Amino acid sequence: MTCTMDELILKLKKEIIDVLNLEDITPEDITDDAPLFGEGLGLDSIDALELIVLMEKNYGIKLKDPSQGRELFRSIRVMADYIQANRTK
Amino acid sequence: MRPLYVSRTACITRQSVSVNGKELPVSSGDGRFLAAVYRTLGIDYPKFFKMDNLSKLGFLASELLLREDRPRFVPREDCAVICFNRSASLDADTLYQATIGPGEDYFPSPSLFVYTLPNIVTAEIAIRNKLYGETSFYICEAFSAHQLFTTVSHAFADSSIRSALAGWTEYGNEVCEAFLMQIETFPPPETALPFSVEFLTRIKNKL
Amino acid sequence: MGKSSFLRRMEEKNGLAMIVWAGDNIISSLGFTTEENYRAVWSGQSGIRLCDAYRGIPEPFYASQIDRKQLGDRFAALGKRPAGYTPLEQAAILSVAQAADQARTDLSAPDVVFILSTTKGNVHLLDEGERADSPRLYLWHTARLIADYFHNANEPVVVSNACISGACAQIAAMRALASGDYTYAVVIGVDMLSRFIISGFQSLKALAPAPCRPFDAGRQGLNLGEAASTLIYRRAAGEEHPHTVSLVQGAIRNDANHISGPSRTGEGCYLAIRASLEACAADDLAFVCAHGTATAYNDRMEAIALTRAGLNRTPVNSLKGYFGHTLGAAGVLESIISIHALTDETALPTCGFRQGETDYPLHIAERRLRTEKPYCLKILSGFGGCNASLLFKKQKKTDETIVC
Repeated sequence: MTCTMDELILKLKKEIIDVLNLEDITPEDITDDAPLFGEGLGLDSIDALELIVLMEKNYGIKLKDPSQGRELFRSIRVMADYIQANRTK
Repeated sequence: MRPLYVSRTACITRQSVSVNGKELPVSSGDGRFLAAVYRTLGIDYPKFFKMDNLSKLGFLASELLLREDRPRFVPREDCAVICFNRSASLDADTLYQATIGPGEDYFPSPSLFVYTLPNIVTAEIAIRNKLYGETSFYICEAFSAHQLFTTVSHAFADSSIRSALAGWTEYGNEVCEAFLMQIETFPPPETALPFSVEFLTRIKNKL
Repeated sequence: MGKSSFLRRMEEKNGLAMIVWAGDNIISSLGFTTEENYRAVWSGQSGIRLCDAYRGIPEPFYASQIDRKQLGDRFAALGKRPAGYTPLEQAAILSVAQAADQARTDLSAPDVVFILSTTKGNVHLLDEGERADSPRLYLWHTARLIADYFHNANEPVVVSNACISGACAQIAAMRALASGDYTYAVVIGVDMLSRFIISGFQSLKALAPAPCRPFDAGRQGLNLGEAASTLIYRRAAGEEHPHTVSLVQGAIRNDANHISGPSRTGEGCYLAIRASLEACAADDLAFVCAHGTATAYNDRMEAIALTRAGLNRTPVNSLKGYFGHTLGAAGVLESIISIHALTDETALPTCGFRQGETDYPLHIAERRLRTEKPYCLKILSGFGGCNASLLFKKQKKTDETIVC
């Protein structure tokens, strides 16, 4: 459960690639501070909902309001920071 | 009713991939058959990998039909997409069902759930090709030449429809088979065949 | 005006024909007959209730459900053992049996075709451990079982086109009858709740934490509902002029935009409306019965499409506040209620609606409105960006029309 920020970021990238079926994308292709939505990875609203499930399933974090996701999924780093501070598993 | 013609056909089974009866060699890389067909066709459409198997199958069949069109992706309202199969979205259903296990195993997946409708394959084809016409999905116990013929012919009674991508797209229980046709109203080039129950019966025997 | 290009083209081939109402039935949380359901809606009752602890689903939700005990009892009264049939099959068969009584038709005749509209059929069986190759899980099997019950040997048609299935099934009926292939079409719309469906809609964050409020500025999402409904259509010779309601036009169009999100311009919905309005002037519409699921995106999309089609002054209602969203049954159920409202010279109110939005204002029916106009339009939209419209017309002599 304890891991460094860099380890968590790498783990998270792998999980996102896996759960969102981002074929042909490697963890190196995802910049830590780049926006996850909009341009770039081409994610949509269903992907955002799937990330909410990922937060709960892998880290025990239940988002009360789906609109919270918009703030959290700004970048991998924002997500990782939130997970580090709030994870229950 | 105006006569209808089949201008192009595409067929995908695990044994072979063909366009207008001509076989296309597919080199299966890592064992994922549909991904291998995608690579063989040289398509660049990352959304493909988010689709369920049924949508991937139908999408690839439609690409086989349309990939040489120039220009491509011209928006049109006069083209319908009508598919048929036996098991609806049962393959996607069982994958989604696995995410709603009892107790601690309960993490319903939204991205799997959206594919638990068979007509999503018609939507994926419509989205890719900007087709605003009718999209419909029908279920039959088995490939029915009669039902396919009457249903598709009737769709042309809609005065806006002049063309259709129609056929059989089945995925599940070890079966992976797609047979898609481009059906048109205008006088055909030499290669086009009359769209008829007999034509579909011949196809059925080949599947 | 008054005849669609589709029917005109079919007439060239088969002679004059009208596709007319011959009988119907609704089974829902609000009753087991069309009359019970219509009266409940007329008097503003809703069948939507809080469901807590539904088969291990962690979050409570609001939904409308068919009374299982009554369903079993009424099904048993038909003379078959309920145990051999799933609740979905029981509801569908019971609904067809009642509609057939009204239509006074022998459904085993060779000129009768069964058309089933359902999104998920017996999907609840997956939850009960049914193997994926069990016939019970297949929609064609459900249709065959229903047709067999009524000794009908024709191959049933099964439409599974997400939430517009009920409209597609009626369009399929219209085409099958107009082409002269059959004289009667039995259109059945059915879907029941299950852990599968509820958890899925929850995962999409689409369910409202309260009874739904279609087209209201404060709407928070949809409620799911159960229903089985049957509409029997008959092919009548044009010269008969039956004093009833006919289905004059229907169209299906796609947004070609996104598999789950509605188009921001309401493209497919607008195109479907435009195709049906070929056969009638907007001024002749008594009302539009919208899809009106009460999700933020759907209702806004419909408001845009209706505005684009010039229907922003036509009375619009949504029936979701009474029944919830009954999925594959919705198109059939809501058409039946609309047909009866049309002959009743009434535009029914939208349960749950209080205040509309300001940017695409519509004339949402808030209370019952009297109207003698001869047409009504039913529209639906669903996942896969599909949209459908149906245009119904009542004949002039309303004193001899169907009673309700």
